[in-house]
Amino acid sequence: MIDTLFATLVSGLVLGSLYALMASGLSVVWTTLGVFNFAHGALMMIGAFFAWTLVEPVGLPLPVGILCGALGAAAIGIVIERLLVRPYYGNRNMLLITVMTTLAAMIILEKGAQMIWGARLKQLPRLIDGEISIASATISAHEAVMIVLAPLVLAAIWAFTVRTNIGRSLRAVGQNQDTAALIGINVPFAFALAFGLAAALAGLTGALLGSIRFITPAMGADPLTKAMIVVIFGGLGSLGATAGAAYLIGLIEAILVLWLGLYWTPFVLFLIMIVVLVFRPNGIFGGNQ
Amino acid sequence: MERLLEVTDLSAGYGAVTVLRGVDIHLDSGESIGLFGPNGHGKTTLLKTISGLIRPTAGAIRFSGNDITAARPPDIVNAGLIHSPQGNTLFGDMQVYETLELASIAKRAKGESRKNLKSVLELFPRLEERRTQKAKTLSGGERQMLSIGCALMCVPKLLMLDEPTLGLSPRLKKELAAAVGDIAKSGVPLVVVEQDVEFLMALTDRLYMIEHGEVVREIDKANAPDHEEVMKLYFGEVSH
Repeated sequence: MIDTLFATLVSGLVLGSLYALMASGLSVVWTTLGVFNFAHGALMMIGAFFAWTLVEPVGLPLPVGILCGALGAAAIGIVIERLLVRPYYGNRNMLLITVMTTLAAMIILEKGAQMIWGARLKQLPRLIDGEISIASATISAHEAVMIVLAPLVLAAIWAFTVRTNIGRSLRAVGQNQDTAALIGINVPFAFALAFGLAAALAGLTGALLGSIRFITPAMGADPLTKAMIVVIFGGLGSLGATAGAAYLIGLIEAILVLWLGLYWTPFVLFLIMIVVLVFRPNGIFGGNQ
Repeated sequence: MERLLEVTDLSAGYGAVTVLRGVDIHLDSGESIGLFGPNGHGKTTLLKTISGLIRPTAGAIRFSGNDITAARPPDIVNAGLIHSPQGNTLFGDMQVYETLELASIAKRAKGESRKNLKSVLELFPRLEERRTQKAKTLSGGERQMLSIGCALMCVPKLLMLDEPTLGLSPRLKKELAAAVGDIAKSGVPLVVVEQDVEFLMALTDRLYMIEHGEVVREIDKANAPDHEEVMKLYFGEVSH
């Protein structure tokens, strides 16, 4: 019993790491621009395909491929911001319009990926081969790398947005654009930076995930849904809340899969989210507003 | 004498609504000016248009000899024309010292951030006490101090203050007025928007009265109105 629980805990940690990496990007875009980026999952997929192209056909080392996957996704993210989000700044219905435009971006990226890379399943090699046993739980060394990397990346984003002026400017723009402009912050640049940073995080997640799951044009759909649950469940607008929620959801999901099986897990997960939001509308870690 | 700020025939508004109609004001180096008049008649809009937040529909704005009519806010900040908005417009979830440090993000302020922070905290010791508090937890007066402190972090060549004493208790108002006076004495010219004409008279050299988006009267210290006349300016002729 203890062994099973421990194994579940570790698998929850792997899921939590994945969700934390995905959701933190979504959270950065939300706190800076006040929009939900529905193309976030597709940007994750783009990161995976870029990394695969550079590693498999081109033959570059995997770490270089992962890095370029993140950078490639960032570049596409900045283009999406420029063409599909920026024209609507200041519009009263910006939130709704950008739901449409980022959904459009998602479809364009998914169909585009299918045209370029085809429908055949692809997979990246692992960063480290082999398996690691922690007490009774066994996970691949690659998953262990993800578990270690996720909190480091989160800590780096936290330090960036709290300790550096350029990172603080993202938070400032999210809270008051006019006042931000009046102290000399370049608001459009901050928007592009937030989108690029979030897309880089998505691309990084995709490239890491490409080693343990198959790379397909639709691979981002499920992580996007989970990341959205995490961001809303945790409480919009705080990176700490998002990170906490990511691990909590990962853990709950792992336990649910163990008890109820895969079929009922999403159902119960959404049920828990609804119940939490009924009693804490600002999210489980969100403050009272 | 150098003309520091010159606003000529300026019109601006929000969408289809015109707020400013052909405004002419100017400020020479070494002097400070005040803007007063009824609420909702365009004083804040004028400041916002000068600082680039609102695009004018007609007219020109020159600062330090350069045309800044079409310039964007960060470029205007970099030129040294700083606008301190009303204190309720800060970054609510950001701590006091973070906000002040962030306010030195402009190129012109980067190098002197530490020194400026020290002098801002000397001017407003309350901000030092509230260092780690979030802006939304500050009192009205403290928010005004933070807003002005941010403007000072930008190293202003000309400082525009929007109702710095709005809604403050008489004691706090006095404290803030003294601090603003110190800023003026340190050689930074001011454009101050205020309801309190006596406060403005003490602080500035000339006043513009703005009504319905137009300058309706210019008042020099030499032809300063007495209290009764000021009341008339606000409320019109009162029949007894």
